[in-house]
Amino acid sequence: MRALRTKAQKECDTVAKELKGILDIAGLENVRIVIGKVAEEEEEWEPMGPHPKPGITTLRNWDFKLIQRYKPFYAPFCDMCCLCTYGKCDLSGNKKGACGIRMDAQQGRIVLLACLVGCTAHTGHARHLLHDMIKKFGRDVPVDLGPEIAVEAPLTRLITGIRPKTIGDFEEVLDYIEEQIVQLSDALHTGQEGSVLDFESKALHMGMLDSLAKEVADIIQIAAYKLPSSKPGGGPDVPLVEVGLGTIDTSKPVILVIGHNVPPAADIADYLMEHGLDDAVELGGICCTTHDTTRYYPKAKIVSALGRQLRAIKLGIADVIVIDEQCIRADVIELAQKTFTPVIATNDKALHGLEDRTYDEPDKVVKDLVEGKVPGVLILDPDRVGEVAVRTAMQIAPKRRAMKIIMDDEEFQHWVRLCYQCGNCTLACPIGLRIGGAMAKAATGNTKPLAELFDRCVGCGRCEQVCKYHIPIVDVITKAAYPYVKEERGRARVGRGPVWDTEIRDVGAPIVLGTIPGVIAVIGCGNYPNGTRDAYLITKEFADRNYIVVLTGCMAIDAALWKDEEGNGLYETHHGRFDAGGVINIGSCVSNAHIHGAAIKIASIFARRNLRGNYEEIADYILSRVGACGVAWGAMSQKAASIATGFNRLGVPAVVGPHGTKYRRAFLGRPYVKDDWKIIDARNGTEYHFEPAPQHLLVACETVEEALPMIAKLCFRPSDTDRGRSIKLTHYIDLHEKYLGCMPPDWHLFVRTTTDLPIAKRDELLKRLEDERGWKIDWERKRILEGPMRPYDASFDPTNLPRLVRKKE
Amino acid sequence: MVCEPFDIANVPGPAALGMVAAPETMAAVVSSAKRPLLVVGSEILRDEFYVDIAIEIGKKGIPIAATGHSIKGFLQKGYTENVSIINLHELTNYLRDPEWQGLDGGGNYDVVIFFGIIYYYASQMLSCIRNFCIKPLMRAISIDWYFHPNAAMSFPNIRPKDEDKYKEMLKKFVESIRR
Repeated sequence: MRALRTKAQKECDTVAKELKGILDIAGLENVRIVIGKVAEEEEEWEPMGPHPKPGITTLRNWDFKLIQRYKPFYAPFCDMCCLCTYGKCDLSGNKKGACGIRMDAQQGRIVLLACLVGCTAHTGHARHLLHDMIKKFGRDVPVDLGPEIAVEAPLTRLITGIRPKTIGDFEEVLDYIEEQIVQLSDALHTGQEGSVLDFESKALHMGMLDSLAKEVADIIQIAAYKLPSSKPGGGPDVPLVEVGLGTIDTSKPVILVIGHNVPPAADIADYLMEHGLDDAVELGGICCTTHDTTRYYPKAKIVSALGRQLRAIKLGIADVIVIDEQCIRADVIELAQKTFTPVIATNDKALHGLEDRTYDEPDKVVKDLVEGKVPGVLILDPDRVGEVAVRTAMQIAPKRRAMKIIMDDEEFQHWVRLCYQCGNCTLACPIGLRIGGAMAKAATGNTKPLAELFDRCVGCGRCEQVCKYHIPIVDVITKAAYPYVKEERGRARVGRGPVWDTEIRDVGAPIVLGTIPGVIAVIGCGNYPNGTRDAYLITKEFADRNYIVVLTGCMAIDAALWKDEEGNGLYETHHGRFDAGGVINIGSCVSNAHIHGAAIKIASIFARRNLRGNYEEIADYILSRVGACGVAWGAMSQKAASIATGFNRLGVPAVVGPHGTKYRRAFLGRPYVKDDWKIIDARNGTEYHFEPAPQHLLVACETVEEALPMIAKLCFRPSDTDRGRSIKLTHYIDLHEKYLGCMPPDWHLFVRTTTDLPIAKRDELLKRLEDERGWKIDWERKRILEGPMRPYDASFDPTNLPRLVRKKE
Repeated sequence: MVCEPFDIANVPGPAALGMVAAPETMAAVVSSAKRPLLVVGSEILRDEFYVDIAIEIGKKGIPIAATGHSIKGFLQKGYTENVSIINLHELTNYLRDPEWQGLDGGGNYDVVIFFGIIYYYASQMLSCIRNFCIKPLMRAISIDWYFHPNAAMSFPNIRPKDEDKYKEMLKKFVESIRR
């Protein structure tokens, strides 16, 4: 056989040679011709940068620069390694395990593992979407995001050097991501990586891939489903939708979609519209699927973020639950059965043991679900979900309305009186809620303390499992809060997707110069230390101060639950433009990529840096110039780990809530180590010690009061103009005084010249610098003569990359 | 005496589950420390009594790191003598650096006392200290009303209905510090 192939090859080569590139296959035997990808000549749209499709080591030097300044900090969650049969190994006290790995490297390994899990969730989601959309619409769906967006896929261009024209072009991007994921995952195996620094470099690489996968996923669904972009009705003009447990009209049949992958929900919406049922049936959702459902079908309602999922299911508001992927409770079938709610699973990643009925007659499937013969079914073709879900909801709703689901007052009293304050629920609660005391008060008729726990509760349900009297604690709390729950109604702007290039043109300069003091990205899950109000407060505080506040995922939902004294929510009181004072719902988890995209476009559109295959330079630009800060106040999932790590590699710092310390790793700067803070002036190569701007890449705060000034602090950048620095310093000092009651202890570090000081306090602060810091002041000219860490130079061109120095001195 | 961690599944490993100690025992550790540090979190603000306890400890010459937004309690009481504002993550990062010169420039610390910090945040920082502040050895103790398995010494879990007993323990702790 081999000889035959060799002979055929020779014949083929000969013919090809003779015909000078024209292959004549006539007369050839045993030849198989396989045509792979046809390489089309691509128009030259931008010169290729130094790092297209970076591999594991390509950006390692950049990672090491970050890690040198922002050293990995580890707080182990567990002292042991249990991953191989040498173990369990006790690594406490930074001991080595049997394989030789030390505790710190093991923590880096676990961080890489978390980022892997997060990144694969987004990549799997993107691949799944691509399959479905190509099957439904073909691979030639144009990537056309409207007239205001020319840089359609900034991360794709930046990382892979590809400019996608159709959704099919993303196949190559996903191929690259998946290949890198496999190589990075390989490094997790026992006997592979052993270095802390390299584990972190790999985690940063995984975070970058995660950001890319998210962009792919969102652009595919925007292009295929025509979700909001820069076409009419998109961007700042997207509609408002209702948010909250109280928004669902339970007099109608209710379908509740949970997860992150929109095609099944889109099919439900299509079915409703095609059959004129859009006013007859309620379509609501939880978590990111709900964002994307409202982007497709604005009549849909956002029932809640992840934190209310357990309670929304237990409340029994859904006549049918449709799950797709990610952030679905593992016990969804068990919970739904208690409220007689059938479940339709639609994704091979979350099958929940249900029988595959994809190709059964819808009549039979609906009948089985309505009659309760099965707890749920699996329908893996999203285009077959709508009919079954809608018909089931319509038929089962009248039956379910006759059932008692919410506990009555008598039952409530029974349970609260049964509690004897053993404290087991508190020990099981992730945030240590003191439930027993509230139960005791409820037993005497005062239900307010119990009702107040509703919003602080993270909705996990661990308390119910440990109660010796089997008190349904979550239900009891919900019952106490029911009068408020029924009224929980807010409004959110639909997720708008990418920021427009034209908006970037308007705000690029103010952001880089610092006169728009920062872009605050309020993102991530709902594992808050103290309830959803923090999401509202963080958003309001910065939007009112003319920062640009962009939101995604659960925090975008939770921020909409609260209102001002006039009864208006933040999306109603603030505009939706990417501009100072905006409160902008970017969309679901995968829409986070557009926040990266906005930062990248500032470098590209405003600063005219080349994007193509040029990650390191753009990340350096963002770290030095773009005053952006992420806030994942309730970060819970592995996706949140990979999202934050992706932001970090691009030079965007993040603040997490106290639960964020359980991710084990932070990236923290040490301002007192002078050599950690060196930066180069790209004009001439002069190296400067500079202020800690930003001081950290990833840091946890204990309370929202502490977080607010920290977020403002992490918006300082070495490139700030004096006017911009003065504005940023004003907010940092003001927030510190407002929430902590005093001046920040490190404000002087950010002063380079007199004009950096807030105008209203300039004299007072100069005096303090003189008295408390020993700085020399020329009072006649009101100038600082001596004291600052470095001089202010309006033309300073900061970089961390020596290769970008234009002329070396 | 061994107790359940306040977050019951927070069992870090064989070397953790530090000792439940009496106030006098913990005070003896503080008394013999060369450079002790009191690390205070925002939970002290739930009752003026706890701010007063922190101030009493501060008055014994033990510097105070005010983390979270706990500084507000000290400002309200007009006590800022040896109180420094710092983020707990930052502080713990500095503590693991033997070269750090401390909040007052006098060098790093050998005993840190955690007080009034959200349980799970404190637990993670105590884990860092236990695992990485080992050369030289730093000991971390907790006088919160939670049992902290990552602390070298800790009070047991105390129920809200026993808060008065807890307050007595804190008073005893302060009284027993000899400096």
